[in-house]
Amino acid sequence: MTQAAASTSRRRTRSTVVAAIAAFALVLAGLLVAAYNEGAFKAQATREAQVQADILAASVTAALAFDDEGAAQEYLNALRANPEVEAAGLYASSGALLAGYRRSAGQVLPVRQIKPAAANSEGHIIVGAPVIQAGEVLGSVYLRTAAEPLSGRILRYAAIGLLGVMASLVVVVLAVFNAGQRRANRALGEANEALRLQIEQRQKAEEALRQSQKMEAMGQLTGGVAHDFNNLLMVASSGLDLLDRTADPARREVLKGAVRQALDRGAGLTRQLLAFSRRSPLKSTVVDLAAQIEGMRVLLDRSLREDITVRIETAPDLWPVEVDAGQLEVAVLNIAVNARDAMPSGGTITIRVVNRPDQEIEELDGDFVELSVTDTGKGMSAETIQRVFEPFFTTKDVGKGTGLGLSQVYGFTRASGGDARIMSEPGKGSTVALYFPRSTNALAEPVEEAAPTAPLQAPAGYRILLVEDDDAVAAAVGGMLSELGYRHVRVANATAALEALESGEAVDLVFSDMVMPGVIDGVTLAQSIRARWPELPVVLTSGFSEAADTASREGWRLLAKPYRIDALAAELAAARAEASAKR
Amino acid sequence: MTRAILILAASAAVCSGAALAQTPLETAVKAAYLYKFGGFVEWPATAFPTAESPAAICLVGADPFGALLDQAIRGQRIGGHPVTVTRLDRVDKGSPCQILFVSPSPRQPVAEALERVRGAPILTVTDGGADGASRGVIDFVLRDNRIRFRIDSKTAGEDGLSISSKLLSLAVKP
Repeated sequence: MTQAAASTSRRRTRSTVVAAIAAFALVLAGLLVAAYNEGAFKAQATREAQVQADILAASVTAALAFDDEGAAQEYLNALRANPEVEAAGLYASSGALLAGYRRSAGQVLPVRQIKPAAANSEGHIIVGAPVIQAGEVLGSVYLRTAAEPLSGRILRYAAIGLLGVMASLVVVVLAVFNAGQRRANRALGEANEALRLQIEQRQKAEEALRQSQKMEAMGQLTGGVAHDFNNLLMVASSGLDLLDRTADPARREVLKGAVRQALDRGAGLTRQLLAFSRRSPLKSTVVDLAAQIEGMRVLLDRSLREDITVRIETAPDLWPVEVDAGQLEVAVLNIAVNARDAMPSGGTITIRVVNRPDQEIEELDGDFVELSVTDTGKGMSAETIQRVFEPFFTTKDVGKGTGLGLSQVYGFTRASGGDARIMSEPGKGSTVALYFPRSTNALAEPVEEAAPTAPLQAPAGYRILLVEDDDAVAAAVGGMLSELGYRHVRVANATAALEALESGEAVDLVFSDMVMPGVIDGVTLAQSIRARWPELPVVLTSGFSEAADTASREGWRLLAKPYRIDALAAELAAARAEASAKR
Repeated sequence: MTRAILILAASAAVCSGAALAQTPLETAVKAAYLYKFGGFVEWPATAFPTAESPAAICLVGADPFGALLDQAIRGQRIGGHPVTVTRLDRVDKGSPCQILFVSPSPRQPVAEALERVRGAPILTVTDGGADGASRGVIDFVLRDNRIRFRIDSKTAGEDGLSISSKLLSLAVKP
């Protein structure tokens, strides 16, 4: 602060010095101009007086020739019109004064003709002119004019000086103004930078908040998910136990089906949880709400409590809306979790999606799609409804909720150009309704990847390098590969895989896990292989959604864990077909 | 212009005897004026056959000037032409004169002489003509004891003469 003040005062001093120098230069220039003007002015005045004398001399030739004193006097008196003429005289060739003119009695006039020495005595200009008629000098004219008095000249130059001072004042004012403007600009720039930083920080904070809201919503489900997994494991475990104890093929088939079903459900659930928890930037896309909600069915079915039934009712021909799909899922989950908590002894959650043409929602007007979640819980009081969208407002016990759930719902719908409403009465359940404006944009067509065709069964002698750190998984996958007719060699990490390839291990394809212990991960391994053995196909696999994202962004073939033998066969066949097409 | 006054003092020499010899002084001044008029008059180009043709001052009738005129014109020039004096008994249009001083004479009355040269580019000068017919383009008069002159610029124009406004400004009203 002190430094800034010191530099400001330094700047001020500097600008004042500059202004003073400018003013001095201006005054100096003014003086030079004045001196030049003074000379020019005198010469000009002398020339004017000479011209006047010449005119007079030419006019009085006849009067002098015919000794007409009266006519001569008349010519001289005409000089009265020029206030600068002090005195004038007409002299005969003999030198005698014929006629004279004096502006005032105080002026003197030479009695005899004198030689006008173009003398500029102080304050006077004296000129003379001969009177010539037909080449004969008849006499002469004497003319004396008053030069501008000193006071008048000083006044004139004072005006110039004043102009100079005013100019320097203008310079000073401009300098001060400029300095002020520079300061203001600098302050503005600093403020702008601070604002930019704040915006950046805020964006980061918002992103973190969204993610934490997501994780919180998921955290709310943890108990339900764990419970569901227990059930699935129970089914699988008991199914395997029973398989051991029965030899009846029909009975065994039923048991196998049950175990398979339980495992599929578990896979679907984890896949949704992983997709849900993925960190993703906020991005609005045109979505079909029915499909989005349908996609959440497993998650909702499984993650809430067993005593809660989830019903999903979507009207046909729903209009598309433009929202961020991830945030939509978080919002629905938040409402569902609230509904669950409002029904401690069980009940039904109904999710309904319908078109609402020509609605007036707050300040909005037009076609909307309504997504409502209705529970059969204990309901809310009017006071609670009023505050329910406020951040950090919660009716739950400490540690059960942060109070951010419904505020996320509200923020999300407003950000999507819609609105959220809540309807409830104590003891009669609650309905949270979200309104999204109808989008005029078309739904993005789901991209159907043209499945490369290749026989699912492996060609004879086809060798696969299996890179997998988990022994159990490696054994299971190895079993599946053998079942499909592939021969394989397994290594435990990427470094070992590269060593094997370098040592000349003859393989036709590399099938690698992505996240492995060791310095090289699956993607790096794939890049190394492409660089050194470009014709060797690589298929990656992972149970981590983020790793999977990275792989698909870079265009690698990817098989998401857990997968079934059919998917493995199809993926390997596609990789084979692609490799042979390249060759 | 009407107040135009002529000063008697034509020269220092004449001035000294002004009070005693009125008439000779008058005559001397008139003689000087006679050729000085020439500086303020323009003749048509036809009046002078060549650049060196003399400008002739002619006298007709009684000669009041005598040697005074010859002295006055010595060495003088009118418009670059040398000045000569010619004394004539009679004049007519063909007389080789640029300035003609007409005095009464038994052989040719003033009015007749003037009538004879009407239309010719000759500056006629008379001394105290009684009426318009006996006055030349310039007519000497005595006003306030000074010699002044009338100018008949109309006749001058008809005769092809152009008189300078400087001279006209000195003339007294006819």
